[in-house]
Order: sequence, then C-alpha cells, then structure tokens
Amino acid sequence: MAAVRRLGRLVPLGAAAIAIVAIVAAGGCAASGATSPSAPATTGEVVPAVHRGPQGDGGQFVVKCGYSHSATDDPIVHPGMAGMSHRHDFFGNTATSSTSTAASLLGGDTTCNLRLDTAAYWAPSLIDHGTPVTPLGAVIYYRPAPGVDPSTLTPYPTGLMMLSGEPTATTPEPVEIAGWACGTSSDLRSQPPVCDPASPLQVRITFPDCWDGEHLDSPDHRAHLTRTQDGRCPASHPVVLPQLTVTIRYPISGAGHELELASGSTFGAHADFLNAWDEHELAEQVELCLHRSAVCSVASNRGQAAPIG
Amino acid sequence: MTATTMMATTATAPASGEVAAPSGGVMRGTQPMHVRPRGARGATWALVALALVTLAGACSSETTSSSGGTTATTAVVSGRTIKVPADQPTVQKAVDAAQSGDLILISPGVYKEGVNVTTDNLTIRGVDRNTTILDGEFTQENGIRVLNANGVAIENLTARNYTGNGFFWTGVTGYRGSYLTTSRTGNYGIYAFDAYKGQFDHSYASGSPDAGFYIGECYRCDAVITDVISEYNGLGYSGTNSGGDLYIVNSTFRRNRAGIVPNSGSYEQCYPERETTIAGNLVYSNNQGDTPAIDVALLAMGNGILVAGGRDNLITHNRVFDHERTGIGLVPFPETDAVDNIPPESEMKTPCEETKKKPPTDKSQVKNPVYWPPLNNRVVDNVVEGSGMADLAVGAIDDGTIPASGNCFAGNTAGSTAPADLAAMLPCEGTGNGADPHNGALDLLALMASARPAKGDYKTQPEPPAQPNMPDASTAPARPAVDVPMKIDLSTITTPAAPAS
Repeated sequence: MAAVRRLGRLVPLGAAAIAIVAIVAAGGCAASGATSPSAPATTGEVVPAVHRGPQGDGGQFVVKCGYSHSATDDPIVHPGMAGMSHRHDFFGNTATSSTSTAASLLGGDTTCNLRLDTAAYWAPSLIDHGTPVTPLGAVIYYRPAPGVDPSTLTPYPTGLMMLSGEPTATTPEPVEIAGWACGTSSDLRSQPPVCDPASPLQVRITFPDCWDGEHLDSPDHRAHLTRTQDGRCPASHPVVLPQLTVTIRYPISGAGHELELASGSTFGAHADFLNAWDEHELAEQVELCLHRSAVCSVASNRGQAAPIG
Repeated sequence: MTATTMMATTATAPASGEVAAPSGGVMRGTQPMHVRPRGARGATWALVALALVTLAGACSSETTSSSGGTTATTAVVSGRTIKVPADQPTVQKAVDAAQSGDLILISPGVYKEGVNVTTDNLTIRGVDRNTTILDGEFTQENGIRVLNANGVAIENLTARNYTGNGFFWTGVTGYRGSYLTTSRTGNYGIYAFDAYKGQFDHSYASGSPDAGFYIGECYRCDAVITDVISEYNGLGYSGTNSGGDLYIVNSTFRRNRAGIVPNSGSYEQCYPERETTIAGNLVYSNNQGDTPAIDVALLAMGNGILVAGGRDNLITHNRVFDHERTGIGLVPFPETDAVDNIPPESEMKTPCEETKKKPPTDKSQVKNPVYWPPLNNRVVDNVVEGSGMADLAVGAIDDGTIPASGNCFAGNTAGSTAPADLAAMLPCEGTGNGADPHNGALDLLALMASARPAKGDYKTQPEPPAQPNMPDASTAPARPAVDVPMKIDLSTITTPAAPAS
C-alpha cells in the first residue's frame, strides 16, 4: 500500500519520537492456547495463554523502564563471574552486575517510572550488522494470565529469579513465550519481521506464573517455576504469580538489517528477571490493581504517528 | 488499602471489631463494600470487607451534622469527619480509617504521599486549595488514586510533582473532582479511566505531557467537565474511546500544544470515540512549543479542537482563535499496528461493558493499518478565527472521501476552510454543493512530516497561579459523588466572550 509506505517514511520524528512511544503488548498472540501441541521441545515448558486484544479489560499495572546499561554479566546464570556471559542490556535497577542480589539491588536507583521498582530486567543485546543496537526502552506488564482468578495472585518473593525463552534455540520456539513483533501488533513471529518506522521492532517475553513456593532459583533456573494451564497452577508449583510480560523496543525498522542476538540466533530470544521490587510497593500494586481488577495504568501507543491537521 | 497498612491499623484496633465511637457509645463497623464486581475474587472481597469491619471507626473523629445536599448524598453521608493531621497524621491513614460516607478534611500543609482509595463514598477535601498540597516529589506515581470505589469526591486540593497522575479514578461509578489543581504530572493531571457518572469542575491542570484532563474508555460515560482551565499540557483535553453523554463545556483550554483532542484507537477497549459534546469553551493559543508532550501532542500541535478519528460528536458555541494550524479540525487517526478493525455500524450504541466481552479478533483478520475516520461530527455555531491553515477543516487520507463523511458545518463564524467552501460542501441541512474536496484540502502527510519543537520537561513547567477556593470548605458537609454529573442544558450555553487581553 503505497500511501502507507510513504506515510511511514515521511515521519521525521525519528528515534527521539519513537523513544517515548509506549508500546502496547496487549496483543498477544498466535492462535495456540495453553494446551497448544506446539510445546517447545528444548525446554519442555508449557506454552502460556497470553493476552490478546486491547488493554483496559482486566486488572494490570505497567512499568516503563528506560535502557540502563549493557554488560557481559548475568547474575542468575553466572553469579559473581563478571564478563562470563554474552552481552546483556539491562533495564530497571541501574546497578545490576554479575554480583547483584536482591539485597544489593533493593533501595537502588532505577530507570523505571515507578521509582520503587528496583528490580533487574535484562535480555541479550540485539546486534545489527555486528553492532549492538541501543534499545529504546522496555514496557513491563503485570497481569493475571488469561483464565486466572486474580484474587489468587501472590506477589513475587523478593529475590525470585526467573528466566524465560530458550537462549540456545536455533529453530522456532513458541511465540507466546518469546516473540518478535512490529510495534504493538498481536502478530508475533519467531523471527524479527520487517517493520514500518511508525511501529518499530520489539521483542515480547512472557514469564512463568507458577512457583513452587520454596526456591528462589534452581540449578537450571527454571525448575522452580512453570506456567498456568487453563488458569491453574499444578500441585508441584501451587503459588500463582502475576504473568510478567517484558517488551523491549528497538529503533529498528525497514529492510536491510542483519539481526542476531548476543546469545546467538534471533530464535533464541529470552529475558531474565531478578525481583528486587520494594516489597511493600509490589504487594500494594498486586492487591490494589490485580486483586481488585483495576486498570492502574495502560501503556498506550498514542505516541505513534498520526496524520493530524 | 495495603496489606501493610491494614495490619498496622488493625493492630491498634480492638480485636473484637468494636470501637469507641466519638459519642462514647459503641459503634460496630458493618459497612459493606460497594464495589463493582469485575471477576472472580470473592475471597479477596471477603478479606477486605473483614478488614474494614475491624477498622470501622478506629480513628478518633469529630462528628459533624450533615445538612443540605441532595437526598442522594444525604442518604450516604455518615456525618463523621476525620481531620488531617489532627485525627490522622497522613491522608492515607485517614483514608484507611474512613468508612463510607465520611468526610476527610485536610489542613493546609505539604503532604508527601501517594494516596490509594478503596472505600466508597468518601469526600476528601482540603481546607485551602492553594496551600493544601499533595507532593509526589517526582517519586510517587499518583496524588490520589481511586480504585473501584464508587462515589468518591475529591475537592479543594493541589497535587503536584507526580510521575503519573494528579487525581485518578478507575473502575468506578460515581466520581467528582472539584476545585482541584494539578501541576507537573508525568502522565495526566485529572484523569478518569473506565469510569462512569462523573464530573470535573472548577479545576485547573497544567504541565502534563499527555492531557490536563482526560476521560477515557467509557461508553456511555455520563460525565461532565465544566468550568476548568487547562494550560501548558501536551493536550488540554484528551479522551480515547470515550463518549455518550460526555460533555466538555464552559471551560478554557489555552497555551497547550493542542487544545481539545478526543481520539479513537483499538489499543484500548471501547472504540471508537463518539458522542462527545464540546460546547461553550474558550480555546486559544494552543501552539505552546515548550510543553512536555507525548507524540500525539507533537503531531496535534497548533490545533484548537481536533477530533482524531471520532464520530457523532457535537462541537458548538466554542470560541476558538490563534492556532498555527486549524481552529476546529476533523482528521483520521491511523493505527499501523491495530489489534482490531473498526466495529460495524450496528455496534455503535453497544455499551462498553458489552463490547469488552467480545473475544479478541484473530490477528490474521486485522487489516492494518486501520484508519479511524472522523464521521458524522456536527460543527455548528462556533466562532473561529486566526488559524494559520484553516479555521475549519476536514482531513482524510483520500480527500475524495470527505463529501461522504457525514461531518457537517453550519452557523459558524469562520474564515478559511480546508477543503475550500467547507460549509457549502458539508451543510448540516440539505445536500452539499458538490464542491471539489481536493480544492484546498489539508496535506496530512506533509503536515505529519513537518518538524515540531522538541518536548519540554514536565518537571520544569510553570507553577500554577493561585486558584479560587470552593465555598465554605471548612464547614460544608460531605458531598460524596452520588449525585453526579450535573445536568447540562445546551440551550443555556452561549459562545464565551474573548478574554480581556
């Protein structure tokens, strides 16, 4: 559609404008649901039910976090071993490093608009033609997964470590866990699509929402968690958590990119979360917004280009 | 109410749930929670209700007799007043201690809090609007946030320096914000989302990158904004997917990037924006290039009243002047990554609560980009002048579609239009003259592409000037928001005079 392409190219706002474009991840995704047969072979994880359609129906709170820094550190997979990891982009807590723990992060500074969200979020750097791409920022959603009774949600324990997505994947993984999209589109792909400048590339990672109630981490960093199926957690992981969705936006649009992740193939999109929210604040957000099914914030995409007289 | 505050407060209350009432008698807390059920969460309500029972009357409070007010308000007013800081040291503690129908009366001072309200029918009032100040110090998100609690009125207060919003109601039926002042807020000033039966009046909002005043995601909203001033915001007013008995009247929108900008979009529920009445407003000099701004505000800059993809709106008896682009413009709102298509005509009267129940549209069925067109808007009896491009305008991606858009213009005092001869092309009575819609049409794509001044920092916007106090703030009885909105009689609304200077 020629008009559309022209419209996109003419938008001069560029990175500065896009930088504050809040992304809606309300879309969610491919047709497969919680019982999809296309479960990932590599992880054995359940494919999550994810939100689709516009925001504003159920309870949620949203945190917008700027890009903080990058380092070859990973406090979950390589704790205390600086420089041992592939390169990561960090969001949220500004002091995250290989030695970070909840105790070291709590009370620190953050790039997030909710100043008491001092948790650490990170993902492998996106590489274009061999050069790391500086992300525009991250929008982070806390919601009950579809079908979950919101009154049963428990806040993440301080220090909980979560990893979602399969870093070593070289073939398609379920896009409900880790998918690429243009802007806020619900059309998730296992590989980065070519995007219009008005809807630049983002990656969307949805985390597990059932916890075993005992372990903040596990040897494979996954076994202490799983995902709800049909709105329920299994007996092995009985504690129902909010479904955390992290979207990271990149200033990437148009053709001609040669994209990979610092961890390898773009099939291997993943992200990590180390909970160091202020405990009282997180409990309050979960109770007020999720238990009460209140729309405490929305990440609108009212920033996107619109032809206005 | 938070788990922590709940525990802290219950620890000081008698375990029996019975507390000494101010009169010396015993008061048993039995106030039920009036919350709008929104899903399976009975267990939580039971817990919250239990906590409230325990808390009932836990504060030392002064009893005042309630007099006056409507029958509706009298029925829910408790007669109890909780004074801050005399009875409770913080606004949040007063709110946590309050029961339905109570008045919380806040003495002058700077309260460094972000307050959450989950109790119905409270009246939260400052003794002096200009010196009773909630200050978020750019660390708190909201000045006061009302979550699924009906009938909460907030009056005669200032909120400043919040990363999110000054005053915010969501998931409620019945809300009122009167004689409020907000400044330097990172999102909205005075804000209602998924809220019904409300009123914002005699209030002032400045220094938001999005909108000073916002009512969104409701149909039929049944809400009124009247006698407010909005300035130095990205948008003076914005409302996405709202409408239906929604009135924006007798107010001033000046020196924002753009004045009054309702819009549609599938990124939130209840699309499209429709049936909003914009009447009797003074809208001028919305070209302010140093305000904070979301991207829509950048693009909308220099327009007085701009309907972006809305329909069935009435714009009448406004005085609109001094805008770099258009005085009153009707333009499409495009979504390049929409999650749904435009609903069929048959769903235009469907309440929001019903449309929310529809299953999401499969992504393969969404025809992106979606252009939300401005349709069937009536622009009548306005006075519009001093617009750089056109006093009155209709824009379209394909200009040839303008004659069939159903928009109409009549009785306006205006100069140039885009396309030319707009009133003859789109009359409100009879058929148009068939004028060429390409003649003098706005070049939307070029306008979109033109450079705009960079975004200002919301944290450094001007301090608001002192604003009028509500009458008898110290002595007026509680007035929960159960009698709102006020009725609007359009026949009494006239075009306001130009400001003195």
